[in-house]
Amino acid sequence: MNRLMIRLIRKSGIDIWYTEGFNPHPYVTFALPLPLGFEGEYEIMDIRVMDDDYDISLIPEKLNSVCPRYIHFERAVEPQDKVGNIAFASYDILFDDNGEVSKALSSFLSKPSIIALKKTKKGDFKEIELKDKIKSYEISTKNGDTLLKIILPAGSNDNVNPSLLLEAFYGENTDVYYCFNVARTDILNASLGRFI
Amino acid sequence: MDEKRFEQLLLTVQKPGRYSGGEINSVVKDKKDVDVRFAFCFPDSYEVGMSHLGIKILYSLFNERPDIWCERVFAPWTDFEAVMRSNDIPLFALESRDPVKDFDFIGFTLQYELSYTNVLNMLELAGVPLLAKDRTDFSPIVVAGGPCTCNAEPLADFIDIFFLGEGEEADLEVIDLYKKYKHNGGTKTDFLREASKIEGVYVPSLYDVKYNDDGTVSSVTPQFDDLPFPIRKRIETDLDKTYYPDEFVVPYIEIIHDRAVQEIFRGCIRGCRFCQAGFIYRPVREKSVDTICRQAKALCDSTGYDEISLSSLSTSDYTDLENLLNRLLEWTEKERISLSLPSLRIDKFSDELLEKINHDRKRGLTFAAEAGTQRLRDVINKNITEEEILSTCKTAFEGGYTAVKLYFMMGLPTETYDDIKGIAELAQKIVDTFYQMPNKPKGKSVSVNISVSNFVPKPFTPFQFHPQITRDEIISKQQYLKECIHSRKISYSYHENKTSFLEGVFARGDRRLSKVLIKAHEKGCKFDSWDEFFDLEKWLDAFNECGLDPEFYANRERPYDEINPWDHIDFCVSKEFLIRENENAKKAITTPNCRQKCSGCGANVFGKGVCFEKR
Repeated sequence: MNRLMIRLIRKSGIDIWYTEGFNPHPYVTFALPLPLGFEGEYEIMDIRVMDDDYDISLIPEKLNSVCPRYIHFERAVEPQDKVGNIAFASYDILFDDNGEVSKALSSFLSKPSIIALKKTKKGDFKEIELKDKIKSYEISTKNGDTLLKIILPAGSNDNVNPSLLLEAFYGENTDVYYCFNVARTDILNASLGRFI
Repeated sequence: MDEKRFEQLLLTVQKPGRYSGGEINSVVKDKKDVDVRFAFCFPDSYEVGMSHLGIKILYSLFNERPDIWCERVFAPWTDFEAVMRSNDIPLFALESRDPVKDFDFIGFTLQYELSYTNVLNMLELAGVPLLAKDRTDFSPIVVAGGPCTCNAEPLADFIDIFFLGEGEEADLEVIDLYKKYKHNGGTKTDFLREASKIEGVYVPSLYDVKYNDDGTVSSVTPQFDDLPFPIRKRIETDLDKTYYPDEFVVPYIEIIHDRAVQEIFRGCIRGCRFCQAGFIYRPVREKSVDTICRQAKALCDSTGYDEISLSSLSTSDYTDLENLLNRLLEWTEKERISLSLPSLRIDKFSDELLEKINHDRKRGLTFAAEAGTQRLRDVINKNITEEEILSTCKTAFEGGYTAVKLYFMMGLPTETYDDIKGIAELAQKIVDTFYQMPNKPKGKSVSVNISVSNFVPKPFTPFQFHPQITRDEIISKQQYLKECIHSRKISYSYHENKTSFLEGVFARGDRRLSKVLIKAHEKGCKFDSWDEFFDLEKWLDAFNECGLDPEFYANRERPYDEINPWDHIDFCVSKEFLIRENENAKKAITTPNCRQKCSGCGANVFGKGVCFEKR
């Protein structure tokens, strides 16, 4: 994604700041990188434009004109929050509905304890308790599929990848259910306001 | 295929970006609006195939035409192949995800012999009969191009049409002819017969091959009087007028050559006797500085790449290199684009050149010395001297480089153990050169990496008559070289001998090897150029079951009067010339390059290129 963005920016002709080390490279960072295979509906990328008087409202249009399908730039603004203020992210998780998945989900999520196995950097597994990390959730249906809306911690302090939760769910429910799409719908600060 | 399910499955394999499609500049059309659908297949992984220039040229060329939609197909990696097989997903094209078997053309590019089993595996995954004679429907037509078509006889049973030489024109002519037959009705047989009259087209099923009792070819006969014989390759005569893409598909995942590639000329003036590319791409034809600058700029603008590689067989032989680099640097520096010049010759490396390509990153330099002694370098016509090698290394060291990589070959004709020892001695002299520099950087060490591959004799080279050395000899020479190296500054890497052996068999193979390919494919051989998948035992079993001896193809001296399996193919270098060159090689007599003196190879039949430059 980083490579793609750098190429899109170069293609669009926007002159951005390069790092000034021995090996200068274009400065592009992502507030909260999206895990592989997830859809993102609200994603944030930081760039620094060289020209101080540059009209940044033109940036989305420039990038959209060179962009592949499925990626769309919404708007460009001056940063308002610090990246460290990211606290939560909300997700829409869709399951193929076989009539029972919503029941299985609600009984799984209402258990007093949900233990997931997380791979540590050393390569072994650590058990973590997810129950008290789930900020909120809601199960409904959408176009005949089962939809789980859930808010999980995100950011540099504490981050829970929804895959962890899904794996724990599959672990207890064999593999009769499968989720086919995870979309991150929003990035939130500690008071659940949208991170900008 | 259900898109939800497909995406779910993608997440279960390594690098889903290999199969997802949707990259920048990939071409999506509405299939209702096109007449001909062409599946361009590269029989290796996405990362390898996407690095290949030929596929980019033809992809864009075909897609310029509103009536053609060309899509890309790569060999699925083994993890995804297993997923495809267990979920009944047929081989599909990346852009539309439509099954390849429904396309009008399935086109393979044959870049190396060890990809042949992948061709078979991809046809099988597509659900298309492997053998051309079993594909009785009008479409898909299975075609193939690329350097291996100069002797693709081992694939003759599987492919309907081979494109010999450069495909820009012949491909489109065949597609147009196909359209005519598709709309007016007609049989595949009639279409192939008519296509065979197009220059550069070889329809192998229209030629009968007979063999002598000893296994050599006794005759190749066209079935009809009006078939071309020999079948001559096709080339572009004016590269300034030849189509070149102004867009490349830019992959999401990291591939091998992830940069803009600007072709600067085709062919090579040098005539190194081991090098097939140096003969089959003749004559040398250059692009003008203006053309190169214009094309390179367009490519950078459309892709967002920050690196351009100037591509050719020997970039420093471009006649106006200095001017070209100056012109490119006018805008590349400003736009922070770096230039890379692969294939530099060791004798053409200068301070100024170093200055121009030397930006902020100082990487190691790589040169091809090919052989360890002057005698052997003369045999292979490499035409560089030890002094040139050492002075180039000195220039590089003085320019701040501390790592040098040298390529060598083992198993060259007339090679002795002294020549092998020469490799180690040359490397040692390079190390000494570094330490003899009065102003060598303090606290820095030098590293000299020698990489030794195994020589494989190829058709259309003067060494096509030579036996490949046996695996036992390679092993013993590799071991000997290891013993000759005494410095820890020298690292030595060498190439697996088993794959080279098989490459040698198929490079000079005949049609009977089609059977061996089927057997090997049935035994699960694929990705043979990848050491982790290559299984020589399976191959030897396959040969055995077909009653064929691989050593007959690889390790046998071929007399000049023997009919080679590729002698009916005309790549415009004459057999007389190759024999003359081989005799010179035996006497270690070098041949001047094409710009110094014409050696009468036969490539002047095209009436263009270096053959007609003023000397």
